[in-house]
Amino acid sequence: MKYPMTRLGEYTQEHLDYLKRQKKKNATITVARVAILLVLLLIWELAARFEWVNPFITSSPSRIIKTIGGLYADGTLFYHVGTTLSETLIGFFIAVAVGYSVALLLWWSEIFRKVSEPYLVVLNALPKIALGPLIIIWCGTGSEAIIFMTVLIGLIVAILNMLGGFMSTDENKLLLLKSMGASKWQILTKLVLPSALPEFISMLKINVGMAWIGSIMGEYIVSKAGIGYLIVYGGQVFKLDLVMSAVLILCVLAAAMYALVSLLEKLVVKNTQ
Amino acid sequence: MKEVLRFENVSMRYHTKQGETVAVQDLNFSIREGEFTAIIGPSGCGKTTLLSLAAGLLAPSNGRILSSGVSFGYMLQRDELFPWRTIEKNLYLPLEIKGTNTPKNRERALALAEKYGLKQFLKSYPSALSGGMRQRAALIRTLALNPDVLLLDEPFSALDYQTRLNVCNDVYKIIREENKTALLITHDISEAISVADKIFVLSKRPAKILSEHVVSFPEDEPLKRRENKEFSKWFEILWEELNS
Repeated sequence: MKYPMTRLGEYTQEHLDYLKRQKKKNATITVARVAILLVLLLIWELAARFEWVNPFITSSPSRIIKTIGGLYADGTLFYHVGTTLSETLIGFFIAVAVGYSVALLLWWSEIFRKVSEPYLVVLNALPKIALGPLIIIWCGTGSEAIIFMTVLIGLIVAILNMLGGFMSTDENKLLLLKSMGASKWQILTKLVLPSALPEFISMLKINVGMAWIGSIMGEYIVSKAGIGYLIVYGGQVFKLDLVMSAVLILCVLAAAMYALVSLLEKLVVKNTQ
Repeated sequence: MKEVLRFENVSMRYHTKQGETVAVQDLNFSIREGEFTAIIGPSGCGKTTLLSLAAGLLAPSNGRILSSGVSFGYMLQRDELFPWRTIEKNLYLPLEIKGTNTPKNRERALALAEKYGLKQFLKSYPSALSGGMRQRAALIRTLALNPDVLLLDEPFSALDYQTRLNVCNDVYKIIREENKTALLITHDISEAISVADKIFVLSKRPAKILSEHVVSFPEDEPLKRRENKEFSKWFEILWEELNS
């Protein structure tokens, strides 16, 4: 049983000091994080402005802001962001949904699992970018090709992670359900799915990263728009301000998507340990 | 008292790539209604196999297991409460599995929970309960289906010594009060003496029945039994047999 906690307002001075120290520590960490970013940006800006480095190659924070402002002004900012974002999200959801379903099938049938094992291992090890030319020929040069690439990159990882989660179900809890006479379907819905919820969340987190790799890599191979397109184009015409701006936008989007998954985790995984 | 379960020449072999293991061989014993039977044996002698056979989770390689149409409830070493369900929802689990999740049965489970001091924890998750309380909840969950025979697979072995004595006492009282037949499997000699009406001693693998003892004490409570002088005599007898 948990020890009874003293009520708020009845704390000893020792506990209040402890709380204060904790608060201070957290504040220090946050301040340090922000400070490092600001200092780096400042040094970067100064180095470029006083030409300690060549700003044509390194760009600078002010030039990045100007470039993004320019993209916004000519109306292409949201077009590129939207293109990549939709490719990433569609690819992410397909990979997660299909991966989850395939993992379920593999959990259900031992034979199916054993038979497919070598294929999964090889497909997992294969660098998907090697399929680039095939994807262009099969899917054309539109968004479909990029989504296909995104799915390819996330799918096997999703399958393997989810299957690992399903297979690690507690043996004794399985025995308990069997002793109650549970059917395989009941074992799945009452035990295996809920107990694999933490693995599901961690699979989502991994796949957020995979989806961005997939969409950007896809756009490297073939694209007419998107953030990956901006990076490739910027590199080719030596507009490094554009490359840096695109990378910055990418950072923000990836962080936002990861934060959403973390939020989901807080909402659903409360009591599972 | 009528027999509720009988093992007739039961043998069980396991097959793996490494070969064949005989877990139990030619087991003959029976359990009567209302009796608290304990089976003791050295670690790894096939005790859990025996319970799985009794519960019908495994089919014997040879021999017959007869049960007189009774239902079984299984209690494991750990409580195995599902951490994502509240205690109340955990108690309903067997009802959901059996498809008997009716208001009447739910009420029965709740009445048991209330009777045995779990009412205040119904809306809590298992992580908020002590080891002893969790094991008690596990017992109530087992009782929710109103089984005739309880199969107890070392249900206290995961608890610390102090808790263990108390929970054993608790569980014993509840089982007696609910008039259940019980089959306890354990390697703990003193635990067996403190609860059982009858004790079977198993040999090392392949498990065979070495002897059968009818145990009776004037006290009807495990903790009190432990204080009786007879207790240590029984312990010596069974210790000798287990180690012979």
